[in-house]
Amino acid sequence: MRQSLKVPALVIAGALVLAACGGGDDEADSGGADASGVKTGPGISDDSITLGVMTDLTGPFKDFSTTLQAGHKMWVDEVNAKGGVCARQIQLESRDHGYKAETATIQFPDLEPNVAGFMELLGSPMIAALKTDINDKQVTTMAVSWSSELLDQPYVIIVGTTYDLEIINGLDYLLEKGDLKKGDTIGHIYIDGEYGANGLAGSKYFAEKNGLKVSEAKVTSTDTDMKSLVTKFKSDKVTAIALTTSPAQTASAATNNVGLGLNVPMIGNSPVFAPALLDTPAAPALSKLYVVASAVPFDSSVPKAKEVATKFIAENPDVKPSFTVQYGYAQGLIWGQILQKACDAKDLSRAGINAALKSSNNITTDKLVSDLDFSKPGSPSSRTVYIGQVDKDSPGGLKQVQALKEFPDAKTYKAPHES
Amino acid sequence: MSEGTLTADPPAETPSHGRRGGLLSNPATLFRWGVRLVIALIVLTPPLYFEPSWLRVGQYVMIGAVAAIGLTLLTGQAGQLSLAHPFFMFVGGATYCVLGSEDAPGKVGFGLPSLVALIGAILVAAALGLAFAPVSGRVRGVYLGVATLALVYVGLYLGQQWTSLSGGTASGRPSPDLNLFGIKTLRNDPEISFLGQAMEREQRVWYLFALLLLIAALLAWGAVRSRPGRAWRAVRDNESAASALGVNVPRVRAEVFAISSGYAGLAGVMTVMWYRLLKPDESEFAGTYSIVVAIAFLAMILIGGLGSVGGAIAGSVLVFGLPGMLTIMIGGNELFGTSGANAITPAIFTSFVYGAAIIIVVLFEPGGLAALGRRLKATAARTQLGSTLLSPKGS
Repeated sequence: MRQSLKVPALVIAGALVLAACGGGDDEADSGGADASGVKTGPGISDDSITLGVMTDLTGPFKDFSTTLQAGHKMWVDEVNAKGGVCARQIQLESRDHGYKAETATIQFPDLEPNVAGFMELLGSPMIAALKTDINDKQVTTMAVSWSSELLDQPYVIIVGTTYDLEIINGLDYLLEKGDLKKGDTIGHIYIDGEYGANGLAGSKYFAEKNGLKVSEAKVTSTDTDMKSLVTKFKSDKVTAIALTTSPAQTASAATNNVGLGLNVPMIGNSPVFAPALLDTPAAPALSKLYVVASAVPFDSSVPKAKEVATKFIAENPDVKPSFTVQYGYAQGLIWGQILQKACDAKDLSRAGINAALKSSNNITTDKLVSDLDFSKPGSPSSRTVYIGQVDKDSPGGLKQVQALKEFPDAKTYKAPHES
Repeated sequence: MSEGTLTADPPAETPSHGRRGGLLSNPATLFRWGVRLVIALIVLTPPLYFEPSWLRVGQYVMIGAVAAIGLTLLTGQAGQLSLAHPFFMFVGGATYCVLGSEDAPGKVGFGLPSLVALIGAILVAAALGLAFAPVSGRVRGVYLGVATLALVYVGLYLGQQWTSLSGGTASGRPSPDLNLFGIKTLRNDPEISFLGQAMEREQRVWYLFALLLLIAALLAWGAVRSRPGRAWRAVRDNESAASALGVNVPRVRAEVFAISSGYAGLAGVMTVMWYRLLKPDESEFAGTYSIVVAIAFLAMILIGGLGSVGGAIAGSVLVFGLPGMLTIMIGGNELFGTSGANAITPAIFTSFVYGAAIIIVVLFEPGGLAALGRRLKATAARTQLGSTLLSPKGS
């Protein structure tokens, strides 16, 4: 027995010796300052600022992300042509996670040391999986999600109005238009999960405030047939349908709304609609749908939106336009202002960037999204929305019917983490 | 991996240890230890050299390996097809969180020591596997596969509904930190440095997972080579014959299902620690505990060779490891043009490679990597040097 221990002992000793030869390479990337006294951090070199993008170019949000990235690229090209931010050129380093949380979890530590912040992190499963990483690394991250449940995260930026406020504003719009009145019932179809729960919180608040009832209909993200739910709405005599769903579910709900003879107006959060829906048989039925979003519709008459749209069509004649072009461009404008603020304070470290974000109470994007206030933790950065009606003939599929507006119930609503 | 080439039906007589004479003088023994040394180096040194993202891939492979070992015992050794592994993983992960976390608003927690929570999670998963015995004892083959598939849906439903335990699909609930005799796993507390390399979270989790995988693999090897393993194979090959030999068939079938579920439960705890989060899936087709994952485990044991423990580990390297490795290697390269609607991105490329690997293995070596290993070993043994080095112990 004593002899047989010799060999394992040798094994371990050998392993240690070999391991010791390598040693570890220490990471030392934080701290330091450049010649002009600006404190730097990860992703900041003397002539460039690198921002990370974690997106989905192969999964369910492929179309959404493609146009979003086109928007990013337009902003980057423009700002770099003007000399960049803080005398540094902006660079984007992007990864495609394919809407898989495990892929994103693996990519994050690979990408994170190279970037000053994230221009985009798409998808609520990915955001949930990376929340602790983002906090540990103190990296300011722009999430492509509008859930107000995320507002307790100090390093997460949500650009614009959250799902709950989108629904409240949308229902208020119908109330103002006379499509809804006290005592009515609203049918709300929502996907189980962060997205749906947040949207539902909006309709519940609105119903309570205005003396209406909500008929709730929960679906999972893979359900595609909404017929039974719309039938239920019909027997509940709903006068409007709210949607916090995926585009495919929207199409089914719209078709059945007309097909079953219910014919009530529908409002939906920004992700319920995709321009590709207009190539499906559901297109005629969709004209009853109003999409409520903090981002401007692609075909809006807002001057800056027009400018970006014209440029996009010239640069990408083959890509189907979508509101995410302007939204992506607006994300760039916002990052540009935060970085400029950090530069003015001579601190481009991660802490400096986050401090700049926290002190930004008036970020403007030429009305691509409403003016944003990031200085109140827990409170959505904006409460105003654009409302677009689905329209086959408009590029991007939405016709603007309501310019930026904050409806009365949105003003009084308290978000989950708001103090 | 000297044990990686373990046969599905190992020779009945295992030569005993404890031969007189110098162990080191026997070239075969020396060679065996040499192989073990190489494996030890492969497992022990990456945390000293590799970037955190590579370590995460390795940790993920180890999760898959533990789950696949459990499945290969059930499917390969005992002949019961199961697609319910993701469900038992979810049960294990949720139990770990419930037992190990403190009570929080809207979330039930018992605040037990994390090691107790870990063991409790394995036991609860195994107990649920045992509770499935009335079904697994009666239904055979593909029908059992379909019956177990139902459990994935049960898991999906419970995860969404029972938010006080699961944390809900919205934000989930954080993983308790495994406190291993005073050393925290998910935080740098206390700070440790090993050979000049600070042992941070990724390094700690790597070593912890390696330890868990080692224990899981050793237990599996032990079971396969001894009485339980023989009973499983007897039941798999012919139930009547097994019964005639004195094997209590229903009991053995229930037992192996419970053991396999326990393995899945452990993999679930590891998954929760890997994400640092328990989050129920939003749909049955995509997510951490979904049907896709059940199929991935099946792919692992098929690629590795049904019933082979080493093969299950190798299968996990291919199925859980390859996509991650390719993602990092291709990473930021614009080689494939990551912009534009029709670009081939790393994510698409990796699914091609992964799919091709499965087809190639199944087409050219239906016995999986384990059979390939056996064949290589047999070829090597025919050479002069090989016959000296690979001779069985004691000869």
